[in-house]
This record gives sequence, C-alpha cells and structure tokens, in this order.
Amino acid sequence: MKLTIKSMGIIVVGAFVVGIAGAAVLGFWKTTSSKQPVAIKEGEFAGLPNPSDIRGSYTWADVAKAFNFDVKLALDAFGATSETEKVNTLETIYGEAGLPEGVEIGTDSVRLFVSLLTGLPHTPEEGTILPSSAIAVLRENGKAETSLIEAAAAKAYDPAAAASPAPASPAAASPALKSESPASASPASPAPTPAPAALSSTTTIATTTTVKAESAAVEHVATPGTITGKTTFKELKDWGLDEEKIKTATGGKIGPDSSVIKDWAAANGLTFSELKVKLQELFPAP
Amino acid sequence: MRVKNLKLKKGAGNIRHIVQAAFFVIVAITTTASILNEKGLAIPFILDASLHAVCPFGGVVSFWQLLNFGTLVKKVHESSVVLAVLGLLLALLFGPVICGWVCPFGTFQEWMGKLGRKLFGKKYNNFVPRRLDKALRYLRYLVLIWVSYMTIISGKLIFQDYDPYFTLFNFWTGEVAITGYIALALVIVLSLFVERPFCKYACPYGAVQGIFNLFRIFGIRRNAPSCISCKKCDKACPMNIEVSTSKVVRDHQCISCLECTSDAACPVSATVEMLALPGSVKDNFVKPAVKNADKE
Repeated sequence: MKLTIKSMGIIVVGAFVVGIAGAAVLGFWKTTSSKQPVAIKEGEFAGLPNPSDIRGSYTWADVAKAFNFDVKLALDAFGATSETEKVNTLETIYGEAGLPEGVEIGTDSVRLFVSLLTGLPHTPEEGTILPSSAIAVLRENGKAETSLIEAAAAKAYDPAAAASPAPASPAAASPALKSESPASASPASPAPTPAPAALSSTTTIATTTTVKAESAAVEHVATPGTITGKTTFKELKDWGLDEEKIKTATGGKIGPDSSVIKDWAAANGLTFSELKVKLQELFPAP
Repeated sequence: MRVKNLKLKKGAGNIRHIVQAAFFVIVAITTTASILNEKGLAIPFILDASLHAVCPFGGVVSFWQLLNFGTLVKKVHESSVVLAVLGLLLALLFGPVICGWVCPFGTFQEWMGKLGRKLFGKKYNNFVPRRLDKALRYLRYLVLIWVSYMTIISGKLIFQDYDPYFTLFNFWTGEVAITGYIALALVIVLSLFVERPFCKYACPYGAVQGIFNLFRIFGIRRNAPSCISCKKCDKACPMNIEVSTSKVVRDHQCISCLECTSDAACPVSATVEMLALPGSVKDNFVKPAVKNADKE
C-alpha cells in the first residue's frame, strides 16, 4: 500500500476531525477545568473539597461556590472588586504593592484563607501571608481555631502600615508585617491548618524562622525532625527514617531524594497536610 | 516516461503547506480567543481553548500521573490526553506526522526558514558541521528526560517557562517567563540558518515522536534500482536526512513530511515512496527510462 502526499493530507486532517469528534461524543474532549477542587481522600474531612487544590484560574465565584460560602467574604478579604476575577490576579496586585522579599500574597493565600474560613486542612507554602483585610473577615467568620487565625494575623500584610514611615524598632522592621504577638517571631510563617488530629502538633510542624531586621527578609531554616512545606525525602532519611518507614506513611511509594515532599504529594494526588501528619508521627515526640 | 511533471508535483507538495497553515490558524484563533475570554473579551462563535489544552505534549507528560493517580498535571486538560493518544497512534502508523504536518511551531520555523533560504541560498541549512549536528540532535532526548522527570516530581508544567512554542502564542499575555522570550528569540535567529532548529535539537515532543521512526508501520522507502542518485531527496529533506543512501528511512529525525518522495522532490516515479514497510515492497524495480532527470 502506497501513500501519497494527498492521501496523507486526508489521513491527518481526517484523523483529527474524527478523533476530536469521537472524543467529544464520548465526553473526553474537555478544554477547560471543572473549577471543582479534588476531594480530601482520608480522615475526618474525607469527601469535602480540598483547599490545597484551589487553582489560580478559579474565579472568586468558583471558590465561593466550591466551598459554599458567600463570595462577598472573599471579595472583602482580598479587596477584589469582581467575583468573575481570577484569584491569580492577586499575584499581580500584591506583587506591585512592594511586599518584603520572601513573602507573597497569591493563590496560596486564597487557599489559606479558605482553610481558615472553613476549618478544612491546608498547609501554606513558606512565605504565604494574608492581607489584614482577610484577617478581619476571618476573625468574624472563620471556623478554624482562633490560635490559627491569630498565627496568620501575626504575619498579615497591612497596606496602611506599609505606607507609613518605617519604625526604628528592629522588632517592627517590616512595617507591613505585623508583629501582634510574641509568637510571631517564631514561627513566622502562617501556622498550617492541619486536620484536627494534628492540631496539637502545630508548633512542632512549623519551620524555624527569623525575621531579619536589616532586610525584612524571611529566612527559613529546616529543623531536624520537623516537616515543613520545603522538606525533602533526603532530609527525612538524614533525620533517621529509612525508606520502608517513609513508605508506611506515603502508601508504599516514595519520591526521589531531591523531591520536595509537598510537591511530590501534589504531583501524586496526595494531600500534603495529611501526609505530613503521618510522617511527623514517625518521629519521637520532643 | 517515468519522470513526472514538476508543476503537478509542486501542487502535491502544497497540500502539506495548506494543512500546516490551517492548523496554525486554528491554534492561533482558539488560543487567542481563550486569552481574550480570560480578560473578559469573549469572541462569539469561536471555540476557545488554551494552548495547554490543544498541545499533545501536556498529555504525554501527564501519562505517568494519570496512570498512577488518575489526575492530570496542573493546567493540562483531558483534550491534551486525547491529542496525545491520537499523536501516538498516528506516529505508530506513519511516524511523526504531527511534526511535519500539524505542529504550528514547526510551521512557524519553516516560514522563518524561507527567509533564511532567500538570504543564504544553497548554504542554508548546511551551516552546522555534520558531526556536531549529529551529536546535537540527541539533545532533545535529554530535554525530554529532564522535562518528564521535573514534571513528575513537581506536578507542574515545568517546560512552559522555556517553551518557545508557548511564548509564540502567548507573548502578549504577561504569562511568559523571560526564559521563554529568550528561547523564542534564539529559535527565530537560528531558523535563518538551520531548518527547524527547535525540532532538531530541543523539542521534547519531537523526541517522543521520533522514537516511532524506528518501528513505524508506514515508512519512506527508496527503490535503489530506479534511483538516479540526483540527491534531490537529500536537498528537499528539512531534517538533513540522507535519503539517497538509505533503503528505508529509519532516521529518528524524520518528520514524515514526504518532501523527499516521488510525489514531491524525487523526479523518478515510484522511487522514493511512503509504503507499508513489512514485506510489501520488492527491490527488483524496473530501471527508469530516463536516467538524467535534471535535463527535464
């Protein structure tokens, strides 16, 4: 059988037309996401939407609908004007606001906000903070433990404070990052909002952080035996866990040594906050 | 007379360019509509889909995650998987036809190459020393391994920040990393000297498709007895494959464009053809009536 240029042209175009039409008929041809976060797989919140799966392409309305709250709360929290705006616009808005190096208000801030608002678990990335307007909303409506909301409040960004002259005191080196409680110096990153089983271990989960007065930059130091959003599999091994033990927590699989556990979990459809609790339990309590 | 009318052959060759242009326009329109839609400027009657939704490579790098966990890499949609499967089936049958007939970025490089051909004439596409060129062509497999590994461990489309194809259709959106602009600029400049430089040296999807050249069902076959060794097939090949010395083209860089065949460049009929390879072609062809086709 010989194929000419003409017949190849027909085959290629035909294959695409038939293939795409067939996929559409079978319901496989989807060019947009469903705007519905995946469900939490295990634990008390199994079956509920996972805040960690909120994507930057979601609009405020999508987020409010998925987590069943009034969209006005989210708009007020982040100073957004339209519910059809995508949440990833925060990165542009607050990127231009002159936040200190090492902190960010973006999509992960929305995940953290939703987590604190609904009480569902989510572990924020290092450097994720909320605007002070979000704290006001959370203090009034948040279902998470007060201590978690206050931990986030301690690091909240206040545009008004940012606009005022920098105070001389090193303790308030970053005018935008409030230091409302003594605990704010350590841990400096917003406390994770783990599943209730792990709430008591919140303090052991946070990464040791220091706020440098000179630069207002946030420096992260891994503490042996303390799992954070930046811990790698290699660090687990360095801290004394062997592969078999790690696999008991991960469900029989393990990522490459250099993999950040949080990224690996996301790539493998696992909920980091749940995995972290399981891994943390492998270490003896301090 | 076995030598074909060259005007007719040129017409046959144009079919590929028409198909390429059609796919380029479709992708440009749908991705632009998608971007405008995101900005609140919906275009009526136009299907909008992001570039990630219509790029089969997103589906390829999602296979591992899909098989293990039933989820897709971030930004990749089901349509990418459909296109990836379609691309693999086509490649199994005909080799990398996606590269030679469909890929808008391959088309873009060919358009740039036309300018290069005007500037440098016969020197065009022959600048890189052969040995260096041969070695560099394995780079795309390293790119493929790196991209696949990074995508698997991160669950994100790592290549987007370096992808000149993404940059081409999104350069005005503000979503492109500086590395993407650099990659696109580099490809544009190199395209003036080398045909399809990105396909040859860096495209990870081209690497996946290229592997199928080793066992594709339909392939390019040269009938040695009727060949007049004019080397027009070699000159026509955008990927610099020496068709004139091959019995069957199994080169991993073939893009199944059919430019070398008796339908296009080869002046002797039934000499370079796309055929079902296993056993259907005999080597005892009758020698061509006209030996020197260049005089035609």
